[in-house]
Amino acid sequence: MVHLIFLSLLVFAVSASAADATFFRGVNLNGPALTIDGNAWSAGTEAKVEGKTFENQKVPLKPATDEARAQMIRSSAWGDKVDIEFSAVPDGPYQIAVYVWEDNNNERFNVLVNGKTVVEDFDSGTAGYWKRLGLFPTRADRGKIVVSARAGSHGAANLSGVEIWSGEGAIPSLATAQFAGEPTSEQLEFFEKRIRPVLADNCYECHSAGAKKIKGGLVLDSRAGVRKGGDTGPAIAPGDTDASLLIQAVRHKSEDTAMPPKMKLPPEVIADLEKWVKMGAPDPRSTDTVAVVQAKSAIDWTKASEWWSLKPLSQPAPPPVQNTGWPTSELDRFLLARMEAAGLPPAADADANVLIRRVTFDLTGLPPTHEEVDAFVDKRESYAQLVDRLLASPAYGERWGRLWLDVVRYADTAGDNSDFPIPQMHRYRDWVIGAFNRDLPYDQFVREQLAGDLLGGEGDERFQRIIATGYIANARRFGSRVSDYPQHLTIEDTIDNVGRAFLGLTINCARCHDHKFDPITAQDYYALYGIFKSTRYPWPGIELEQRQRDLIPLVATEKLAAAETGKKAHEGEQRRLIKALDKLKEGLKSVAEKQPQEDKLKAAEQALADHEKTRPKIDTAYGVSEGAKREDAALQTKGDPAKPGERVKRRFLTVLGGAEVNSQESGRRELANWITAKENPLAARVIVNRIWQGHFGTGLVPTPNDFGKQGRKPSHPELLDWLASRFIEDGWSIKKLHRHILLSHVYRISGIRTDDALLKDPANELLSAFPRKRLDAESIRDTLLTLGNSLDRSPAGPHPFPPENKWKFTQHNPFKEVYESNRRSVYLMTQRIQRHPFLSIFDGADPSTSTPSRLTSTTPLQALYLLNSPLVHEQSQRFATRITASASDDRTRISNAYMLALSRPAKSEETDAAVRFLAEVPDAERWNALARVIFRLNEFIYLD
Amino acid sequence: MHSSLKNPVNRRETIRSLVGGSMLMPGLLAQLLAEEDPLAAKPTHFPAKAKRVIFIFSNGGVSHMDTFDPKPELFKADGKMTGIGGGLSNQQRVLLKPGWEFRPGGKCGTPVSDLFPYLRERMDDVCVIRSMKGDDNEHYNATLGIHCGSFFFSRPSIGSWVSFGLGTVNANLPSFVVLSAGSPYAGTQIFNNDFLPAYHQGVRVIPGKEPVANLSRRSSGHLQELELGLADALNKQHLAMRSGDSNLAARIRSFETAFHMQTEASDVFSLDKESDATHSLYGMKRGQTDGFGWQCLVARRLIERGVRFVELVDGTSSKNWDQHGDMAEHALHAKNLDQPVAGLLADLKQRGLLDDTLVVWTTEFGRTPGVDGTKGRGHHSACFSSWLAGAGVKGGITYGATDELGATVAENKVHVHDFHATILHLLGMDHTRLTYRHGGRDYRLTDVHGAVVKGILT
Repeated sequence: MVHLIFLSLLVFAVSASAADATFFRGVNLNGPALTIDGNAWSAGTEAKVEGKTFENQKVPLKPATDEARAQMIRSSAWGDKVDIEFSAVPDGPYQIAVYVWEDNNNERFNVLVNGKTVVEDFDSGTAGYWKRLGLFPTRADRGKIVVSARAGSHGAANLSGVEIWSGEGAIPSLATAQFAGEPTSEQLEFFEKRIRPVLADNCYECHSAGAKKIKGGLVLDSRAGVRKGGDTGPAIAPGDTDASLLIQAVRHKSEDTAMPPKMKLPPEVIADLEKWVKMGAPDPRSTDTVAVVQAKSAIDWTKASEWWSLKPLSQPAPPPVQNTGWPTSELDRFLLARMEAAGLPPAADADANVLIRRVTFDLTGLPPTHEEVDAFVDKRESYAQLVDRLLASPAYGERWGRLWLDVVRYADTAGDNSDFPIPQMHRYRDWVIGAFNRDLPYDQFVREQLAGDLLGGEGDERFQRIIATGYIANARRFGSRVSDYPQHLTIEDTIDNVGRAFLGLTINCARCHDHKFDPITAQDYYALYGIFKSTRYPWPGIELEQRQRDLIPLVATEKLAAAETGKKAHEGEQRRLIKALDKLKEGLKSVAEKQPQEDKLKAAEQALADHEKTRPKIDTAYGVSEGAKREDAALQTKGDPAKPGERVKRRFLTVLGGAEVNSQESGRRELANWITAKENPLAARVIVNRIWQGHFGTGLVPTPNDFGKQGRKPSHPELLDWLASRFIEDGWSIKKLHRHILLSHVYRISGIRTDDALLKDPANELLSAFPRKRLDAESIRDTLLTLGNSLDRSPAGPHPFPPENKWKFTQHNPFKEVYESNRRSVYLMTQRIQRHPFLSIFDGADPSTSTPSRLTSTTPLQALYLLNSPLVHEQSQRFATRITASASDDRTRISNAYMLALSRPAKSEETDAAVRFLAEVPDAERWNALARVIFRLNEFIYLD
Repeated sequence: MHSSLKNPVNRRETIRSLVGGSMLMPGLLAQLLAEEDPLAAKPTHFPAKAKRVIFIFSNGGVSHMDTFDPKPELFKADGKMTGIGGGLSNQQRVLLKPGWEFRPGGKCGTPVSDLFPYLRERMDDVCVIRSMKGDDNEHYNATLGIHCGSFFFSRPSIGSWVSFGLGTVNANLPSFVVLSAGSPYAGTQIFNNDFLPAYHQGVRVIPGKEPVANLSRRSSGHLQELELGLADALNKQHLAMRSGDSNLAARIRSFETAFHMQTEASDVFSLDKESDATHSLYGMKRGQTDGFGWQCLVARRLIERGVRFVELVDGTSSKNWDQHGDMAEHALHAKNLDQPVAGLLADLKQRGLLDDTLVVWTTEFGRTPGVDGTKGRGHHSACFSSWLAGAGVKGGITYGATDELGATVAENKVHVHDFHATILHLLGMDHTRLTYRHGGRDYRLTDVHGAVVKGILT
């Protein structure tokens, strides 16, 4: 009963929509007037046509169609550039359909309506293939509608006809028009006897309103279901068996779509189905089960917002514990309560040497010095002082900034087929490192990256905010060409990263269809898509346009005009000098007396070179700015930009409130504010979890980029919320968050696990011991360089890229460099498509996609690196020199080596072993060899 | 040399003395050290015909109508008609006839052009697929596609997937090895593990005197053994106090493996023991340490030692089969490839290895029937030819067809995804079940596509 009411409501809702559109005009390009679907079409001469004319009435059409339509299709206007202009069109909304066809070889082209691309790079298919593209909504522009086609990646367009409908309402479909007549009684009998039972027995299990789970969005238990079809389109094309997906499926044409999947129907049954399609698929089943499917698959938003990560932040009180003396902070009580419940006491405190090593690597990525260890062990420096000292050191930003660079898949190159360098990108890297060091509040950190260019500011502050938008600009680039540059992929990469980095959501899963697991619709995806489509990305250069453009000048607003005039004047003069030079060169070929001419040539070359030296230098940022057009984007059916659907208002994710963009801006400012709004529970939870993971190796949520259903739930949900709430109260201060965590007792316990703990909590989810961590790739390299006294701690600037005017990168000779340096590894030049040889061996970040947490693989290639690489051998030699110079007796030297490399003195039996080892080694190699042994110890790269 | 260190037993004794007899291993420790290797051989989804793969990739786009797909009509139409041509298959251009005659090869008579006289004789073992199709006309994207099943985004290479799916049977060698003289299109991405664990990364071997980085010792073998001995003992002591940690145990083992790799891998690259007859079969001179013959022969030696997936890259991103200007240059590249590959097939066969080894040859796309430049051809992903030979593949046949000009697939289209599904199938794996959970979803080599090409299976 409830169902019925619901259905009737739906039906009512549909019929109450806007009035149907009416047929306005149809034009048969390069052909006579005729009647199609009962509408009168005019001859091609009725429109102004720019393009060549072509006709071939012999080509069999795929799919076959009625005679009049076929005649219309087979005559066309074609070319690289076709324009069809309709004039004297009254003002108002219209919808356009365009008939295209292919007479011989497959071609690709774009279709435009009133100058706006509505279909990108359409593939015309094989000979005879035709299609009715549209409907594309438009308005008459000063009494005109212009339909155009432009050559795409190859070939030209064949436009056969244009159909214009007036109004925004529904339009009778092609299929219904063709077989509009009422089915005959013979046809109905055929259906009841031969078709309905086949569908019911073989298809309904997965394809009916009553199915447990409807597969592919397709129902076959109603006429509407068959006609509308599933995710891949209508199930049948009335009259055309070959073009009917249902027939293709039962014929088992391809393994992917073979239906029923496990058993092919008998040939006579398939023949019946074919016969049915040929007669236009008469079907008396009038209940609209499609509505049921839609109601079933629609997201229940109330239920969706009950998922743990989408619930509002709670403010849980720390639970009571038995061992009240143990916690040093409220945070500890959350963990201890769980340990006590499991009967697992926390491990003993880590000793001072272990703790200073742990926290120093943790905050700076470098080992503590001998003096630092001594001061802490001798209690000249307290633990709280130690933490504050480390948080204040510049090395802190270098380590924690790198963790953010992992998340945003930072690279110094663009990732297109030639991997163009981005000489300005380092400014963003340095901004991130600086933001961590000055403890820029996280909400502001987010806002500046998404919309820094819109936030104003004075002098350098404004520049820094522009640089911060390098976050968006750094999105991956693709391909080699300019004309059909796949901007949709760059935007996809942006949305993918925004979702993961700031929200812990895999929004990009909703690009082709609603997210399969999380409450994110395709509309949500294209709502965000519109924001980034309205944003101008800088152009890094690409094989077929090798110079940068659209970068943001870092010049005070009042000086900008003068700077640009100066730049233009310089370029003008440069062009003049080049022209003069070319003229001289040309002249030289024909002049007999060459000497005086050659002198002139030399002078002209010199003048050009001198002029180059006076080039006004304008610093630029690789950041984004507002696009020329700021508008909503159309949904792309199945993620295909060639299949635009409805327009989607720019807005935030529905499940997070769905607020809309209501300004003249792109919407980036609003997006940044929505993300950092206190009502959005995800932003704080996600970043707090990342910081926790940075300290303990695993997050409270072990999947830091995915807080959705495919991710894992938090091990300590109350603790996560408690930390997140505190974090917001503390003004989104990351350094304060570090302090909370580091001053807890649980951070300071030993990493040695008892047998009992191993048995009861094998994965150490309760943190009853400190989880052992392997150093990341950067820390390993930086430590080797530190021990060898080789690390260059000076601040890094730009990379030594070749100057832009020398760029000739192609996919044949892509940009590919490894710039050697002794600076900290965070400053190594990172290429998008080539991994740095060292970083790739030791599980460095993936430069092509977000790295939420580093893998720690153990491979023989890593061992080979430590056995035989030049770096290890050089640094061990330098380390050996340091050790031998540090003391005169071997036992002290050995202990110093342990202190420097492992932050603890050697035990006496270790010293004994080392002494015996040294005795076995030839003199010249003694300390080098011992250094190499130490570098290969597990203790060297695993932190207890 | 210190006499006490000559043999391993004595080495152990010396090491034991170094660390003062604290080497007694508790039971758990011994168990950890013996724990399963991430590269251990894994069971297949169903019985496999092929146990390993040699994947030969010719970079640049090999013309199908000049090699494996005879087009008599194109000979006739030369210069008289127009068809798809130009650099990116985007223009109507005058048709260009193939530059070489076709002749039947082997007993089966599969026609191959005069570019490959040696290979032609091996056709009885080869199944030529003439209906390959890709999705992109750019080298970079097509090269990425044929390796990773994705034409735009970096994904794990097919070799990494195979390594992940099957593991290896020789722990002293990597499971996926790439022999590549220069950098191909799309760079190292095409043999990268991407999101799969790093064990499955393609280990790059660069033909020449030091083929693998960091493989040669920098100090004497004796000294290195001594160093490793001490580190090993200290690491085991360290582990004894942290007995639950299999990562530490795995890392101890990795040094042992690396130590053996120095010897075993070096042995693979040393061809001294190969006979003169073998050298000449591959078209090689004795002492040669590079060239495609070297790559082919080393490939055989690698698979003999249990390496799962060996890729041979033919050409680099700047010197390859990309003949826009003059098709005649194809002859140069064919000559480089022909005898070594034919030699490899013959050698595998005579050793019985072809029964359970799959040999794959492919390129990233074909070339246009219409002219590009003056005597060249453009990129054409709408159709191209590849071939398979060996385990589980019907030899002596051709599969699929292009239209009469070689412009488009006319029957039995084999998309790159289908090609990948078929290779995995031959290795006993269902391409829809070989998945890896990453970033919230299960990824496959074939994405959501692919169907096994049953018509070429024995």
